[in-house]
Amino acid sequence: MALLEVEDLCIDYKTKNGYLKAVDGVSFSLERGASLGFVGESGCGKTTIGMGLMGMLPPNGVVRRGRILFEGEDLLRVSAEEMRRVRWRKIAMIFQAAMNALNPVQRVGEQVAEAMLVHNPSLGKEKALKAVEELFELVGLQTDRIRDYPHQYSGGMKQRAIIAMSLACRPSLIIADEPTTALDVIVQDQILAEIRALQKEFNIGIIFISHDISIVADMCHDIGIMYAGQLVEYGPREDVFDSPAHPYTRALLSSFPTLTGKRTDLVPIAGETPDLVHPPEGCRFYDRCQEQIPACREKVSRWVAISPGHKALCCRCEMDGR
Amino acid sequence: MAEETFRTETKGMERYPGLTAFLEGWGIFRQSLLGKIGLVLLIMFALMALCSYIPPLIDPMYNPMTGVDPVITCSTGPSRAHWLGTDFMGRDILSQLLAGARVAFMVGVSAAFMSIVLGTAIGMTAGYMGRFMDTFLMRLADMIMVMPTLLVVLILAAVFGQLNIWTIVLIIALFRWPGVSRIIRGQTLSLKQRPFIEAAKVAGASHVRIIFRHIMPNVLPLAFLFMTFRVTSAIIIEAALAFLGFGDPGTVSWGMMLQWVWKTGHMFKAPYWLLPPGICISLITLSFYMLGRAMDEVLDPRLRKEDQTD
Amino acid sequence: MMENQGNAIIEIQNVSKVYRSRGALFGVRAKDVVALRQVSLKIYKGEIFGLVGESGSGKTTVGRLIVGLEEITSGEIFLDQENVTGLKGKALKAFRRKVQMIFQDPYQSLNPQRSVLDTVSEPLSIHRVGRSADRKEMAHKVLKSVGLSPPEAFFYRYPHRLSGGQRQRVAIARAMVLNPEFVIADEPTSMLDASISAQIFNILLKMRSTFHVTQMFITHSLAAARYLCDRIAVIYRGQVMEVGSGETIIRNPRHPYTQALIDALPKFKGSGEIKQYGTLLIEEREVNGEPMGCPFYPRCTVAEIRCEREIPGLRMLEEGHYVACFNV
Repeated sequence: MALLEVEDLCIDYKTKNGYLKAVDGVSFSLERGASLGFVGESGCGKTTIGMGLMGMLPPNGVVRRGRILFEGEDLLRVSAEEMRRVRWRKIAMIFQAAMNALNPVQRVGEQVAEAMLVHNPSLGKEKALKAVEELFELVGLQTDRIRDYPHQYSGGMKQRAIIAMSLACRPSLIIADEPTTALDVIVQDQILAEIRALQKEFNIGIIFISHDISIVADMCHDIGIMYAGQLVEYGPREDVFDSPAHPYTRALLSSFPTLTGKRTDLVPIAGETPDLVHPPEGCRFYDRCQEQIPACREKVSRWVAISPGHKALCCRCEMDGR
Repeated sequence: MAEETFRTETKGMERYPGLTAFLEGWGIFRQSLLGKIGLVLLIMFALMALCSYIPPLIDPMYNPMTGVDPVITCSTGPSRAHWLGTDFMGRDILSQLLAGARVAFMVGVSAAFMSIVLGTAIGMTAGYMGRFMDTFLMRLADMIMVMPTLLVVLILAAVFGQLNIWTIVLIIALFRWPGVSRIIRGQTLSLKQRPFIEAAKVAGASHVRIIFRHIMPNVLPLAFLFMTFRVTSAIIIEAALAFLGFGDPGTVSWGMMLQWVWKTGHMFKAPYWLLPPGICISLITLSFYMLGRAMDEVLDPRLRKEDQTD
Repeated sequence: MMENQGNAIIEIQNVSKVYRSRGALFGVRAKDVVALRQVSLKIYKGEIFGLVGESGSGKTTVGRLIVGLEEITSGEIFLDQENVTGLKGKALKAFRRKVQMIFQDPYQSLNPQRSVLDTVSEPLSIHRVGRSADRKEMAHKVLKSVGLSPPEAFFYRYPHRLSGGQRQRVAIARAMVLNPEFVIADEPTSMLDASISAQIFNILLKMRSTFHVTQMFITHSLAAARYLCDRIAVIYRGQVMEVGSGETIIRNPRHPYTQALIDALPKFKGSGEIKQYGTLLIEEREVNGEPMGCPFYPRCTVAEIRCEREIPGLRMLEEGHYVACFNV
């Protein structure tokens, strides 16, 4: 049984103009210890997926449809109380703003210990602090910094402390939403290495969300490309990168400057993302697509298998029999 | 797609950004019950003020200040000729009440407007110039802020004798700017750090230009909001002064009416005379306050945020 | 860095910037912060010069000092061989016609209360260029050149009705409308999505090819700098570590810090192509007393004793390639 199985997840936001379909029909599954990355630009719904999995949607967010099976249990059916238990204990989240979420007037070590005690009160404070020491070592923080306050930490250290906190209850799934965006490249590299090592050590499943393809490729075995609320391409990273099938994936890849290879001209994607309150009938990328054919506009795109494990949501690919 | 639909929707309106902004604001305002009640009350008072011109036209005895009913020589209750009764010398209370509405608007709005102009100018100068100017102006503001306005006006009245209504307005304005200037200064300080001000500097804009073209349009909504609160306090101060007997004897204001009730010993004898001005003062200040609260919501950027998806 | 003086459009010489702490808080006097230490750079006519560094490296300060948004602590800045350090009044205004800046956050750098036309034509009215109709014409032209077309459709729009990419185009138009000689772009894409960033990059390239504007591109991304820039300077903690052509810096970085920076980039693609250097220490080395040597000393794997005490100046390794390191 897969650790996490998401089927046809649809999440809407209530806005003054109507329901905005932020996530529309997303399905994927994740095995224990595996890693999956979601890449997309702002507004594509990748963060909403993470929030939806955690049951932490903003007040105007509603799950319209779908199932989130976590260890065989549908998280959309459980009570709020139950969900609170699952959250942090089994599913932990590391998000971009997390390092600013540390309480400035409490020692970092105590905050981590507290997170542990909330979910496991029988542990006792003594033991919890002892465990924090181990966690600090795990994430590469010096144990003598346990008694420091957040302002004495650098950005990278704070993010490490957040990772320590997320590991406190030994979760089986970690959702990392842009965990390193605010950090410098060198620190980012170290944090990513840390996450990778911990994932391996504890056999944790990771869902990694980022706008930066190169980071996701570096971190995850499988990659899902998102556009306008939909998953448009899914597959092992080698396949997605070396033979991208969906025109959006190709466009996205060619708009990133790289350090390697010959310097090629970047091709920006013209146009704007569609209105998600009234999304187009056919392919959502139609207006901006360089390879559009009339069918794309009329037909609802279907998933096409490109190679084992690699699929794309594209009419054109279907026609070409790719 | 989204771009296109938007363009057609607002075609022709783009040139009138003020109108679009107003409609947008009105949309938020409409959702506020407080604001709607305030607005209705205010419209009522405005109608009262407008109507104040009518009674003297019907009969000179309805002149609020000088008109006396020849057959009445003492305060009487409501009757067909005088719907709210008369005062101690037979003047019509309804006409006085209507005239009082006009005075309240005049005093409230003009005093508030003047104090806002003064406060905004001083606040922007202090915030933008900083250093010595800032310290000087803000200490001055502190000094004025801690002075009890009413007491100072009383002393001035005692020294100069009776005060003209416009003098009172001016004094209120002069004593009521520091609060506004503090707020505007804070806003200016934060605006000053914003990159668009730096961009204007890099473009070569002078200080005057930056203050008037870039900072002022951004603080004016806030200043306007404060004006509604200032109206409230100006009306109260004027009423208090008049009640204490330091008002303009040539003007019929609600405070003046109350003073007449008090001075002639009708305080507990003539509720038809005492209550109308008292209720009006409370209601008009309340209505401006409610309006201000609703405007606060309109101007609050948190409520203006576009819906976020990611 | 002695080269032919002739075609340097901007030259900064030994520029330092120190933020002095203001007074004492609770009796503890905060230390002065040295944002830049003896920075010297030359930017040649027609090139796009990249300044790459992490946050807090002082890269933005360099830009702000050049345009005069901040006062220089010591050193000099030249524009066309003319000393433009600490200009005031008329001279400053004249200088500002020639040097413009594009700011990082397009959501903050446009006045929310002013329309696109107001914003773009403002520099023209400040410098009294043309009449109102001419200004409109010029705004039209420049908006078109940054890809906002038809420009009329944008004239009366306000920033909150524009997407991030469109806002940044307006900001570029504002910087370009005076036809400046030199434009500083301070991380113009760090708030934007990749596909939008690519648009902005291409506009900057177009500005160079059509209007021959010399540019300084400030960024934290080596990849972006490589795409845009002819030459790149890598800056770390207020000091220039390495200067060279874009390809030299990426293919043949000589300074340990530049090497560490390249090491740290996500490696999935091209791990075969770019070699690993391993010049970064995992844990920082203790520094005795006041740090006074190479800023990278605490983290450098190849540091020597003198690196702790002495500041290495920029040395020329080969034509156009300078490194500030004793060990290269």
